[in-house]
Amino acid sequence: MKLLVIEDEQGIRENIVNYFNEDGNICESCDCLSAAIDKLAVFDYDCVLLDIGLPDGEGFAVLEYLQKQIKNEAVLIISARNSLNDKLKGLNVGADDYLTKPFHLAELKARVVAIYRRRTFNSNNNLVFNEISINLPGRTVQVNQIQITLTRKEYDMLLYFIANKGKVISKNAIAEHLWGDEMDMHNNFDFIYTHIKNLRKKLLDANSNDYLKSIYGIGYKFMAE
Amino acid sequence: MKLSSHYNKTIIIISISVLLAGAVIYYFAISYIARAQLDRDLTEEIDEVADYVKLNHRLPRQIDFDEDVTIFAKTDQAVLPRTFFDTIYNNPKEKKNEAGRAVSGLISLKEGNYKVTITISRENTEYLIQIIASITFVLMVCLLLILLLTNRYILKGLWRPFYDTLYAIKAFNVSDNENFDLRQNKVNEFNELNKAVSVMSTRVKNDFQNLKHFTENASHEMLTPLAVITSKLDTLIQDETIKPQLYDQISDIYAATSKLSRINQSLLLLVKIENNLIDDIEWVDLALQISEKVRLFQDLISTKGIQVTEELESKKIWVSKHLIDILLNNLFSNTIRHNVDHGQLIINLTADKLTFQNSGPDKSLNEETIFERFQKGHKSEGTGLGLAIVKNICSVYKWQIYYQYTNSLHTFQIQF
Repeated sequence: MKLLVIEDEQGIRENIVNYFNEDGNICESCDCLSAAIDKLAVFDYDCVLLDIGLPDGEGFAVLEYLQKQIKNEAVLIISARNSLNDKLKGLNVGADDYLTKPFHLAELKARVVAIYRRRTFNSNNNLVFNEISINLPGRTVQVNQIQITLTRKEYDMLLYFIANKGKVISKNAIAEHLWGDEMDMHNNFDFIYTHIKNLRKKLLDANSNDYLKSIYGIGYKFMAE
Repeated sequence: MKLSSHYNKTIIIISISVLLAGAVIYYFAISYIARAQLDRDLTEEIDEVADYVKLNHRLPRQIDFDEDVTIFAKTDQAVLPRTFFDTIYNNPKEKKNEAGRAVSGLISLKEGNYKVTITISRENTEYLIQIIASITFVLMVCLLLILLLTNRYILKGLWRPFYDTLYAIKAFNVSDNENFDLRQNKVNEFNELNKAVSVMSTRVKNDFQNLKHFTENASHEMLTPLAVITSKLDTLIQDETIKPQLYDQISDIYAATSKLSRINQSLLLLVKIENNLIDDIEWVDLALQISEKVRLFQDLISTKGIQVTEELESKKIWVSKHLIDILLNNLFSNTIRHNVDHGQLIINLTADKLTFQNSGPDKSLNEETIFERFQKGHKSEGTGLGLAIVKNICSVYKWQIYYQYTNSLHTFQIQF
């Protein structure tokens, strides 16, 4: 996957680039509107991560540029402005998704992967990870060709883990992904453990490898190997 | 005491004292003039007598005088100055005594000196004074009546702009976007007052708006640093060389960051609600929403072993779905957070009210401050903004929200 990160905050930009690069993706970055347009004029990307508040203008200009040039980049807006109007405007001008700051890198990755999948896979295609095969449109999971039944939360969690395979994901990130950030989880993550325990048990029962690893109470890691 | 009463009181005191003083001065002036007139008449009479005596060398007979009473008395005095004095006049026709004015003088004849005293009636002048006094009195009463009526009706009209302004000030709401609507009127003072009030209200509104913008901007500015912290933490935990002991610390930072970001979002939301910026209005089936929330919060509910009882009648409301979502999230969050293990949560929806009842600490919360910002129980992990947001959303839709503690249940009731 080839990505372009347009973000003026250096700290965030570097972390995003590092987080995405480790997975065999190519991730480039720039910090302003003009540099972004220059890059987009020369190169093609699979996905653009776009901050709206840039030093030399609003990020919406990138969307307009892409539309005018009939370029096919997927765009995910990352903005500090949690306003419905901005969200609708962005989605209307051709953005694929909208993420409000602050966000977890795992969440960003999951969203980008989802957009990328939507754009590149055909509707009957499956997402395959080793012995696990997921039928995305049908929301069904097979392990070693045996169908297993997952609850909605377990299914979402599995997709989330596969998108962030090899990464440690904090419980906060998992909770926000599954329950939304508007719901106050009271920093009580016991029930995440229950869901993960069930998911792991179902996978192991179907003779899958033990991918899910708990990391010292802070989160979980879906082992890539 | 009303301003017009104060005004009337002053007017009455001043006019009565001025009129009374005037009447006294008037009385003396008229009396003086009348007396001078009488004295002139008397001088004329006595001169006539003197002329008669000089001409006829005898005293005139009583018939020669009209109604005057003239008395001649022999006297030995050689010199008698002419003197005027008040006396009693005996009206010969009506046979009664009246107030009179007399003059006495000396008349010399061959047979000796006579003291002549001429008395005339003062009745007419007294009568005149009485008439003048009564006219003055009637005028005084009329004047007072007119003043009172004028004050009552004209003053009322004059002060109308003042009461309009007062009403507008009373109805003034700093968060309203409408401007102060004050009509131009004929009185300069009131125009000035209106101008001053308008300027003041504009300034207050601007300050309020600035404060809101400040809150909004401050919250926005905090989002990017929060995003930096979050992404740094997400990157930090990827490092496998970190000592396991540090994970506890990181976990706490995560919790604090997530709380901070929630406070921020809540503040932004409050500003948005107060500015009426949320307008995605649609018909929302409240019963359906509540059932969905119960499902959404199922994990939290079952972790605490809370027994949920729902009694929901169908209720459609014309609202922003987003706001109702937040309202219910906060109510659920609150009633679950402050619930005891294996407690209960009773949700009741009827056509005119929504009630959330939950078990919890055996102590009533402060009904006065519970909906205020950053008011929370000291053990609460929440932002302290949840119920403030609930209250604000309710006031957007003009609903009443009450808190009550009865039968060891904390009750939140929204009256539609």
